[in-house]
Amino acid sequence: MIQFKNVVKRFGERTILKGISFEVKKGEILFILGTSGTGKSVSLKSLVGLLRPEEGEIYIDDQRVDQLTEEEYLPIRKKCGMVFQHPALFDSLSIYENIAFGLRRHYDLPEKEVKERVLRCSGLVNINAELLELLPQSISYGMQKRVSLARTLAVEPEILLFDEPTTGLDPITTNTVNELIFDLSRELKTTSLVVSHDMGCALNIADRIIVLDQGNVVDQGTPEQLRKSQVALTKDFLAEVLENESVN
Amino acid sequence: MKVLTNTLTEIGGLSVFVQELFSVAYRKGIKQKDVLDQLWKVFIQSFPTTAMAGFFVGGILTLQFTLQVKTFGALGFLGGLATSSTVREVGPLLIAFMLSGKIGAFTSAELGTMRVTEQIDAIRCLGADPLQEIILPRFLGIIFASFFLLVGGLFMSIFGGMLMGVLFSGINPEEYIRHIPTLVSKVSLINSVFKCFVFAFVLAAICTYKGYTASGGSKGVGIAVVSTSVQTMICLVFMDWFTSVISDAFFTVVGS
Repeated sequence: MIQFKNVVKRFGERTILKGISFEVKKGEILFILGTSGTGKSVSLKSLVGLLRPEEGEIYIDDQRVDQLTEEEYLPIRKKCGMVFQHPALFDSLSIYENIAFGLRRHYDLPEKEVKERVLRCSGLVNINAELLELLPQSISYGMQKRVSLARTLAVEPEILLFDEPTTGLDPITTNTVNELIFDLSRELKTTSLVVSHDMGCALNIADRIIVLDQGNVVDQGTPEQLRKSQVALTKDFLAEVLENESVN
Repeated sequence: MKVLTNTLTEIGGLSVFVQELFSVAYRKGIKQKDVLDQLWKVFIQSFPTTAMAGFFVGGILTLQFTLQVKTFGALGFLGGLATSSTVREVGPLLIAFMLSGKIGAFTSAELGTMRVTEQIDAIRCLGADPLQEIILPRFLGIIFASFFLLVGGLFMSIFGGMLMGVLFSGINPEEYIRHIPTLVSKVSLINSVFKCFVFAFVLAAICTYKGYTASGGSKGVGIAVVSTSVQTMICLVFMDWFTSVISDAFFTVVGS
């Protein structure tokens, strides 16, 4: 289980997270929605120690993590796989080596097993084995996002964190990635936190949704509960989805 | 006041960064293969331009001195005079300026892009230390490569000076070389090699630091590249003065 308790994060004089609190249960898919600059990505990065909150507490499986040192964070990062907004692939490494990168750092595995895991994970996200020897810049952006997902899955994390996973993708690839998030979370029984702007997708695949505004949690609940929400920002997010549904 | 605060903050940040690099090297070790890869890449990429710059720096100084030595009927001292000023001062500084534009800008842009496209965060999330994984190999690779490039550039400047002297000043090669040992002492050579090492260190530290700490998207990368060039040049001039003072004081004490 993941818990945020009154987490505050500041950048200079700007306070991005103003004491947010929420929980994510084991095996749950939680979507964090909100407009740009409201602290969605900052929340994810605080969870894996890429950013350190000034106040508050963050727990993963009852272990407080916000005060851990960089060394102490290693087992936590092994547990949490993060898919970034950018594919964040290493340009000088082949796709195979990109997927194997975390495996080689987190585990001491024989090369045969590394290869097996790389092939299995690339298969999970529908990457053709012929592409594995190419460099990241020679494949499309959508495919790079898949490689990034495969790299995260290769370390077999218990918690998957997605930071705007469909940004910059066409609608078809967006649907594919969303389906992948749902299927992987169910098949691998991982806990998933997804930062997104996409209310339609959240309503389809999330178990719960929280809405952030100006660094505060302004709304939360199941997709059904949010459909009936009276919170202005949630209604704004819902408006477009409901309009599309009525057209269809 | 703000300029002073910013300058001190930059110096403090850079010092902590370099100290952290040494600490990582000591605690976690150095990836020797990656260092050699970087050294080779930087050296190969920059050798032609460095050699060319060195050649012309030496050549230009020789041509500039020709008029003066001819006035005093001392053309025989042309080689010694041109080589002395090239080796002691102008050569290392000009070649280091050129390297700061080439290696410094390239490295800070490369690392800055890795930072803003979250590759550095990804490295941390995947259980590796970006300082050990990508910064330290570049830092050490650039120091060694720049040092060899600077020393190589100095040899090219001596050769360039001699060739220009022969072609345009009417001096034969033996005559040009004869007075070099008279005017270029061992102390000058040691001082020059020491300068090359200090310049290489300054260049490597600033470009890796500015790239690693870049933020704010593509504009941030641009700012990192520009400030790498500006800060490196300012630091090189300062270190040029500082190393001259230090080595003069050292050799005065040792000499006495």
